[in-house]
Amino acid sequence: MTQVLEKIGFHEAGFEALMDSLTQPEWLAEMRRDAWAKFNRLPWPSGRDEEWMRTDIRMFNLDKYALGNGGTEAFPEGTLSEGVELSGRLVTVDSVPRVSELAPEWSKKGVLFGPLSQLVNEYPDVIRPHLMARTYDSGVDRFAALHAAFWSSGSLLYVPRNVVVNQPLHTLLALSDGSADLSHTLVILESGAEATLLAESCSLENSSGGVPGGFHCGGIEMIVGPGAHLRYVNLQDLGHGVWQFGHQKAIVHQDASLQWTVGALGSRLSKVNQHVELAGAGATSQVNGVMFTEGKQHLSYHTLQRHAAPHCRSDFLYKAALQDNSRTVWRGMIKVDPGAQKTDGYQRNDNLLLSETARADSIPGLEIEADDVRCTHGSTSGRVDEELIFYARARGFTRKEAIQMIVTGFFQQVFDRITIESVRDALGLSISRRVREYE
Amino acid sequence: MGNSCGSYQRNNQRPKRMSEFIFAINEADLADGGKSLVEVEDRLVLIFRIGEQFFCIDDVCTHDGGTLADGNHEGYEVECPRHGARFDIRTGAALCMPAFKPTQVHECQVTEGKVFVKLS
Repeated sequence: MTQVLEKIGFHEAGFEALMDSLTQPEWLAEMRRDAWAKFNRLPWPSGRDEEWMRTDIRMFNLDKYALGNGGTEAFPEGTLSEGVELSGRLVTVDSVPRVSELAPEWSKKGVLFGPLSQLVNEYPDVIRPHLMARTYDSGVDRFAALHAAFWSSGSLLYVPRNVVVNQPLHTLLALSDGSADLSHTLVILESGAEATLLAESCSLENSSGGVPGGFHCGGIEMIVGPGAHLRYVNLQDLGHGVWQFGHQKAIVHQDASLQWTVGALGSRLSKVNQHVELAGAGATSQVNGVMFTEGKQHLSYHTLQRHAAPHCRSDFLYKAALQDNSRTVWRGMIKVDPGAQKTDGYQRNDNLLLSETARADSIPGLEIEADDVRCTHGSTSGRVDEELIFYARARGFTRKEAIQMIVTGFFQQVFDRITIESVRDALGLSISRRVREYE
Repeated sequence: MGNSCGSYQRNNQRPKRMSEFIFAINEADLADGGKSLVEVEDRLVLIFRIGEQFFCIDDVCTHDGGTLADGNHEGYEVECPRHGARFDIRTGAALCMPAFKPTQVHECQVTEGKVFVKLS
C-alpha cells in the first residue's frame, strides 16, 4: 500500500519526495508531472476573476500546510452510517488509508472499493480510461492543478455491468489539525449498475482545544454508465479553520440517473465547483444541497447543470441557513447545448438569514442554445418571519425552539427529497444543534 | 510566484498585545496620506494615516462584500474600486450608494512608534 511517511510540503522538493514515495504506473506519474507544470504556470485566482470576486482567499497561504502522515489518532465512526448496514467502508486520515473493507459477496461480483492510489496499480485498465479524463480538468485553476499533481489515497468505487449493490458504501475522510488532504474520489458505474455511496469529511479534534485548521483540496469524478443509477451523498463537516477547495463532476449517460446530495456545514472557507453533465438521451439528475453556516464561515458553491443530449431532466435545489457573520455564495448555471431538445431543467436556491450580519449571494443563470426546452430557475433570500415566531411563542414555545422549528421547516423541502433516512437524520440533527437564539 | 494568495503586511512575530490592542504596523512603515492592508488576528483590515492620525476599517465593502484595498482614498474617504461606494474611514459610515451599511471600524492607538488596533 502506498503511504506518505513524512510530511511533504507543496514545493518542488516536496513534489519530488512525493513522486519517490509513490508506487504508481508511469502514465500516472506523467499525468502528475504535467499537472505540476500547470501549477507552476498558473497564477493564484484573484478577486478580479468573476468566479472569485466574492470569495477572498488572500489570507490562504499554502506554505502553512503539508501532506500529513496519517498519524495514529483515533477517528470518529461517522454520522451518515449510523444504523446503516454497509457493504463497504473506507476510512482515511490525512489521506492515509486506515480502514478498507468490502463485503466478499460484492468483491466476488467484481465490485472494486478501496483506496484509489492502491487500486490504480492493480486495476489500471479499469481506472485509466476515466481518471482525470473527461471529468476533471487539471488546468482550470491552480487548485485543480495542485490536486492533480499531489492527490494521494482517495477512493475508488467501481461497479460492473448490471450489478446492483443494494447496501450503501461509506467513506470517511478525517483531517488532523494543520494537515492537508488532497484525496481523489472516482466512481464508475457500468451500464445497468446501481450503488449508493455515503461520503463524509470531518476534522479530528484539536488537542489544544482550538478550532481545527487545515487544507482540503479535493476532486470528485463520477461516471454513471447507460441505464445505471447512483445515489451519492457528500457531507462536509470540516473544522472551522479549514480551507476547502474542490472540483466535482459527474457524467450521466443515456437513461441513467444520479441523485447527488450535498451537506455543507464545516470549513472556514469553501470554494467548490459542482458540475453535472447529462451526456446521453434520457439521463436525469437530482441535486440536493443543504448548507448551514455560522461564525465567519464562507461557503461558495458554483454549480453547472449541462444538458448535452436531448430528453434529459435536471432538478437542482440548494437551501442555506446562515447565522452570525457568515456568508454563502451560490452561482448556478443551466447550460443547454444545441440539439439538446426537450430539456427539462430546474434550479432553485433559497437562503434563510438568521442574523442581521449574515450575507447570501445567489446568482442563478441560464445559457440555452436549443429552442424546444423548459428551463426554470429561482432564488429567494429572507429573514425569519417574526409573525411565525410570535405564533409559536403564543403556543408555549421559547424563541429558540420557535427558530429551530422554522429552520427545520425551511429545510424540510430538501429533506423530503433525500431518500436515505440516516442522511436526513444526520443533517437535521447537525443543523438543529447549531441554531442559536437571535433577537 | 509565492504560495500566498494575497499581498499584504504580515507580522513575522507573534502579535504584541497592549491590553486588547494588537500590534498592526510600524508607524514609520506608513507614510502620511497612505494606507496599508494588514492581517490582524486572522482578519484583513485597512490602516490609513492622515498626518499623525491613524484609522482602521475592515477591508470590506458592504455593498458586495469585496475588498476596498485597491480603492482610491482622499481625505477621510475611501472609494470601492468596483462600484464606487464610498466610506468614511473615521466612522465606517457608507457615504453613497450602492453601499448603505457601514463597514466595521476599529480603534487605533500609537505607542512608541507602533500602531496597535483594537478589533471591534
